[in-house]
Amino acid sequence: MPTSESYLILATIMFGCGVFGVLFRKNLILVMMSIELMLNAVNLVFVSATQTLGNVDGQVMVFFVITVAACEAAVGLAMVIALYRKYGTIDTDFLRVLRG
Amino acid sequence: MLLWLVILFPLLGAALNGLLLRKVSKTVSHIVGASALIASFACALTAYMQMMSAGGEGQVIFGFDWLEAGGFKAPFQFILDRLSGMMMLIITGIGSLIHIYAGGYMHEEKATWRFFSYLNLFVFMMLLLVLGDNLLIMFIGWEGVGLCSYLLIGYWYEDDANAAAGMKAFLVNRIGDIGFLIGVFLCFKFFGTVSFSELKDIIINGNALTGPQLEAVSWITLALFIGACGKSAQLPLYVWLPDAMAGPTPVSALIHAATMVTAGIYMMTRLNFLYFLAPDTQMIVASVGAATALFAATIAIVQNDIKKVLAYSTVSQLGYMVLACGVGAYAGGVFHLFTHACFKALLFLGAGSVIVAMHHKQDMQEMGGLRKYMPITHAVMLVGVLAIIGFPGLAGFFSKDEILWKAWIGGGPVIWGMGAMAAVCTAFYMTRLLMLTFYGPNRSDHHTREHLHETSAVMWAPLVVLAILSAVVGYLNVPHVIPGLPHLLFEHYLSPIIHVPAAAAEHWPHLTATYSHSLELGLMGISVLGMFLSAGFAIVLYKNGPSPTAIKLKKSFSGIHKVLTNKYYVDEFYFKYIVDPLKDMSLFLWKIVDTVIIDGIVNGIGQAFMLVAGLTSFRMSGSLHRHAMVVMLGIFCLLTILLF
Repeated sequence: MPTSESYLILATIMFGCGVFGVLFRKNLILVMMSIELMLNAVNLVFVSATQTLGNVDGQVMVFFVITVAACEAAVGLAMVIALYRKYGTIDTDFLRVLRG
Repeated sequence: MLLWLVILFPLLGAALNGLLLRKVSKTVSHIVGASALIASFACALTAYMQMMSAGGEGQVIFGFDWLEAGGFKAPFQFILDRLSGMMMLIITGIGSLIHIYAGGYMHEEKATWRFFSYLNLFVFMMLLLVLGDNLLIMFIGWEGVGLCSYLLIGYWYEDDANAAAGMKAFLVNRIGDIGFLIGVFLCFKFFGTVSFSELKDIIINGNALTGPQLEAVSWITLALFIGACGKSAQLPLYVWLPDAMAGPTPVSALIHAATMVTAGIYMMTRLNFLYFLAPDTQMIVASVGAATALFAATIAIVQNDIKKVLAYSTVSQLGYMVLACGVGAYAGGVFHLFTHACFKALLFLGAGSVIVAMHHKQDMQEMGGLRKYMPITHAVMLVGVLAIIGFPGLAGFFSKDEILWKAWIGGGPVIWGMGAMAAVCTAFYMTRLLMLTFYGPNRSDHHTREHLHETSAVMWAPLVVLAILSAVVGYLNVPHVIPGLPHLLFEHYLSPIIHVPAAAAEHWPHLTATYSHSLELGLMGISVLGMFLSAGFAIVLYKNGPSPTAIKLKKSFSGIHKVLTNKYYVDEFYFKYIVDPLKDMSLFLWKIVDTVIIDGIVNGIGQAFMLVAGLTSFRMSGSLHRHAMVVMLGIFCLLTILLF
């Protein structure tokens, strides 16, 4: 059985991948997938905490996170579609409306 | 209960016409408007009869608690007594006739629902003004009739001049209203009440007034009189009334001759016990009245617009009523109000018939000889003119000579002289109006002449009723010097309303003293003689249109004529010294204070932020990743600080 440290190390790697994806991928859908990856890294920490501390609070919290993540994905994907219809691209290099 | 119906019927009519019947035919809105008034008149008559058969004592009809704040109480209640009952009958009775007539007059217009709705609303407000038992309800009515007057003057609002006339009426009245409000406030401050019945109790039956109270009475009466000056078109606030003729003629008849403009006289009569206590104010009231009577009468002599002549005539006649109030002859003033309501409504409606027949031309120089084409209108107008100039036996004779007599004994020869001069002028300009319109050759163009004809029965029938009234109502107040008839019925009728407080009795000796009949007869003889001479002069000058003599007279007095034609340049004076400076000041406030200073500060702050933002905004690349990077770095730094 893996130790709790190994769970935390895995979660940190997942989270790092997510951050890396958000910062450097140009495709908005991949950016969103990276966000999901970060969320799930956090979920993994919650679940492992349940195991080490011996109460279910962390697992309850995970359900909330999954629900919110589902909503976020739905809204986010809808926005990506809307952006594509308006600008014809989802490449973040071309989406620079906020330039000062 | 009946009294509530009297008031609610016109409101119902206004609501029906204004809210529900906007799409229906003109006939329906006419029928709704007129029947609301007739129903109201029937209720008013019944209520009045009940009141009189119960002995004619005033009744207070409680509605509901309305305003209460600390010691201040103003319940919503009505007073029905001899004075307000009579006013109520005039308003609904003459109002009914005018509503019937208006159906014919407004036949060619679109959107008559608007007209009848406003007219009914006016009657409602006027009834509120007359029947209210305290100054605040009166004030609601006072403002309400002003509003309806504004709406109806500007009824043909597509024309800028009409809209401007409406605004002028509204604004000039506003000046008077400030006076009225100040009067109400002072009244509450010094007497603790604004109710008519309570005020009367305090003054007639209560303890002697204290010094400050006595002094306050002068200011209260003066402030309220400023309100009356606005509403009843007295110098110097009369300027709106002639312009108000821009409205449809039934409006001029109902609002600007018979009812609304008499509100000031009604208010002063209602508060006569206060005015008796302030002889100084009364002196001002009498002088203003006499001056207005003469001033307006002289202007009317040279006007060529038929409605303008009648408008200045109204101002002049209102001057008589105010003069009567000023010398303490309230019964005389209210009696003239009553007779004037009859014959001036008749004259305006008659002029309206002429205007309709002439296709809305109002210049008397283009009329002439209409007697042939409009015999009924001519007959009733003749009665109206004879009544207003004081032809012996008709209404105006009794009411006007009563006022002149009281002016002599109460105000002295100067006041009487001004009144008598005004009467002479009245005889001249009214005869001139009659001659130019109905006699001599017809001077209109061919097209207009072809279409000249008598108006329909819905228009002339009310005129006939009014003509009969104008002929006979004078006999309600026959002076003592004319034997063989019941004397001064009206004065006795109104005497329970008039109270001279004991403290003020010394100032009003002439109200109780007896005078020789020969003096009264002599004065009457002078004014009748003057009337005949000046009417005869007008007949000679104008019986065949403006005669060469008239034109020669106009040339040799061209200076005076020019001043009179331009109405003594009062409007120009007001514009130069009041309106234009106000406009300049507003322009200054707009262009300098608002645009430069205030906008400068507000926009300056905004621009300062823009400037600072502009200096830093080059950092904003708009790149999503760079933003995310900054967020991440921020979180990293925060966490580092928090954890270590």
